[in-house]
Amino acid sequence: MPETGGIILGIDLGTTNSLGAYMTAAGPVVVRDAGGAALVPSVLAFGPDGQVTVGRQAKAHAVENPLSTIYSVKRLMGKSLKDVAEDLRVLPYAIKPGPNDTVLVDVAGSGRTPQELSAMVLEDIRRRAEAALGVKITQAVITVPAYFDDAQRQATRDAGRLAGLEVRRIVNEPTAAALAYGLDRKSDSCIAVYDLGGGTFDISILRCSEGVFQVLSTNGDTRLGGDDLDRELIDMLTGEIRARFGEELEFGPATRQALKAFAEEAKVRLSDYQQAKVQVDLGGGRVFERIITRDEFEARAAKWIDHTLEHCRRALADAGLAPGDIEEVVMVGGCTRIPLVRRRIAEFFGRNVYTAVNPDEVVALGAAVQAGILAGMKRDTLLLDVTPLSVGIETLGGGMGKLIMRNSAVPCMASETFTTCIDNQSAVDIHILQGERELAADCRSLGRFVLRGVPPMPAGMPRISVTFLIDANGILNVSARELKSGVEASVQVTPSHGLTAQQVDAMVKESYAHAMEDFEAHRVIDLRNEATRVINAIEKALGARGHVLAASDRARLDQAVADLKAAMKSEDGDAIDAAMRAANEAAQALTADQMNDVLRQTATGRKISEF
Amino acid sequence: MTDHNDAPAPASAGKTIPFKCAKCDAPLGRPLVCDACHTLNASAMLTDYFTLLGLPRQYELDGQQLHRSFIDLCRHSHPDHAQNDSPKVQELHLRVSATLNEAHRTLKDPVRRAEYLLELLGGQSSAQDKRVPDGFLGTMMMMQEELAEAKAGGDAREAGRIASVMRTQRDGLMKRISNLFEEHRLAVSCEAVRKDLLDEIRRQLNAVAYVRKLLSQVEGVHA
Repeated sequence: MPETGGIILGIDLGTTNSLGAYMTAAGPVVVRDAGGAALVPSVLAFGPDGQVTVGRQAKAHAVENPLSTIYSVKRLMGKSLKDVAEDLRVLPYAIKPGPNDTVLVDVAGSGRTPQELSAMVLEDIRRRAEAALGVKITQAVITVPAYFDDAQRQATRDAGRLAGLEVRRIVNEPTAAALAYGLDRKSDSCIAVYDLGGGTFDISILRCSEGVFQVLSTNGDTRLGGDDLDRELIDMLTGEIRARFGEELEFGPATRQALKAFAEEAKVRLSDYQQAKVQVDLGGGRVFERIITRDEFEARAAKWIDHTLEHCRRALADAGLAPGDIEEVVMVGGCTRIPLVRRRIAEFFGRNVYTAVNPDEVVALGAAVQAGILAGMKRDTLLLDVTPLSVGIETLGGGMGKLIMRNSAVPCMASETFTTCIDNQSAVDIHILQGERELAADCRSLGRFVLRGVPPMPAGMPRISVTFLIDANGILNVSARELKSGVEASVQVTPSHGLTAQQVDAMVKESYAHAMEDFEAHRVIDLRNEATRVINAIEKALGARGHVLAASDRARLDQAVADLKAAMKSEDGDAIDAAMRAANEAAQALTADQMNDVLRQTATGRKISEF
Repeated sequence: MTDHNDAPAPASAGKTIPFKCAKCDAPLGRPLVCDACHTLNASAMLTDYFTLLGLPRQYELDGQQLHRSFIDLCRHSHPDHAQNDSPKVQELHLRVSATLNEAHRTLKDPVRRAEYLLELLGGQSSAQDKRVPDGFLGTMMMMQEELAEAKAGGDAREAGRIASVMRTQRDGLMKRISNLFEEHRLAVSCEAVRKDLLDEIRRQLNAVAYVRKLLSQVEGVHA
């Protein structure tokens, strides 16, 4: 495959679905397969032979093989076991604690990090794009919910690296959507992007003028989305099933997967119809049937929509605007198809909501636009984003001392000077926090670092300036120097909920090693399949017209076929390839005769004048 | 990291910047960007935020002009548009961008702008001078009591009324601050008078901070 023509792939890595898009001179284009499908379910299925399938096929596999079908991995990114306790209730696969207060997904006895699992989805998206474009892709822009914290962003970037992609930028999903929607806008206006996806909710307020997209504020909840609406329906169904068939009824993983699938389908159906019928086979002749009406669904969904409105209010307050100041409301994410969502948001902003472009694809399109900007293809467009959460450090007494306020435009920088409290102290311990609460314990711990190499001085004398930089990805970088001596102190932040740089490096190396093995394994499988086709074709031809071959040709062909069958048993791709070529060549006399025969048959019954 | 990785400290404000572009020698119309060759001028970051954004160094400012100037400078300095440049140039774009963002954030918000300008003019910080205008604390105490009563009685309407009185109070203080800055700007008088004006601004700003904090608590309850 030719090397990348500088193409940076835009990837929307979603909780439920993922997809890729790329920039062309005419605008961003979504990657589609031969059947025209763009969305790839973010689902992984692990076969008993260790083979991994991604997407639609994996999703189909979910009910029959619930323990080895993994979905909603995005909910686990950059999280600790405690963080995801609520999700464990509904996820059929097993989760266990990982290093640095992270989680591991238990797949057939081995623990996989959410980063690795997301990398498999990303790799699939990359392969699809490579197949569609015919070039190798090594760079990407990946989108994340605007309200993702530092650990979640880093985890996403690490997943990209594990998938063999240089992540040129992490872009916020609502901002990406605005880029895709507002490309032709020239006048100065304020817009709101309401993004309710499978597992996350974001609201962003932007000011757009002449190609510059300035985010004024953002708010949201990284644990609120379509999954919660599904869960409402699942809870309703399980409650009623137990009421009918006995409270002690246990739901196995397969039933839970089935319920999840039914709930999702019913939710989607209820956007277009007034009711949806659900039928659950519980085994032993017990069948549960239920018609869910849209009114019932809306009654259960209402509280979640109210939560999103609360976030909208906060975002507007931070932007210093009132609902009436918003000139356009853009809806993104599959859940914005729900009539109740559209109705409530339209009421809140007092205007019609806008959903012209496919809400499932607009984020990927925006990522492609940002990729175009980074590649230098678009100089007239510029994105100015903000950091969603305040960043600070733990102060004496367990307080949170904010250094960078939420909704500050990125990149942004803040410096703080520290000193020592005992004579000749050579190290200072610093705890970095993210969040809006007053107490350190209530904020998210991003990591700790020890400032080493402080020159020996009396207590209170050293002046150590620590600089916190949030880059355009919304990711924090820390550097430090002692001002009196000018000594650069080393800063190695140990992430509280993530992988260290070394761990990621090790995993990348391992995945390269595996990638070679995987590649060889795939090739052998493909070659075997092709060899089987060749043998079948030869045997069929021999049956039909074996008599036309000279005895020596026949012997040579039989030998070649036997050699090929033997080679197929080995794991050596080159040997299979060589044997297949030999067999094809030995069959040439046969195929040549076949060709002539075909010509003869075609010619028979036609008049000479027709040639 | 170089020596100037911090936001420009007001102490170094007012330093003269080169009149010519370091790269193409063209005369500079504005401190940050050379209009002839679009090179960023790193020493522009030593100047104050007003100068950096091409605005007069005064409290009253034209919001539209601030926005236009900020956006225009972003177009020239954003790291996204320096992706194919050397790491050194990229680093400069990153620092300039971060400084511009901070300058914009400071000047856009009236209270932050007032604090910054006061510091530029040599006024005291809130840590150095904690005084508030005469009678202010008494008024505030009364309001807080009324508010506590309204909350205890579950009277949301009364709480809303008090919040609106507080907002009026805050707006009045800001207006006074604006007038004081204008007076200071136009004053042809001795140092002592000018210092008195700055001290008065300090007291008014301390009062604003107090009201703002109360308001955020009230509005937090309502939100």
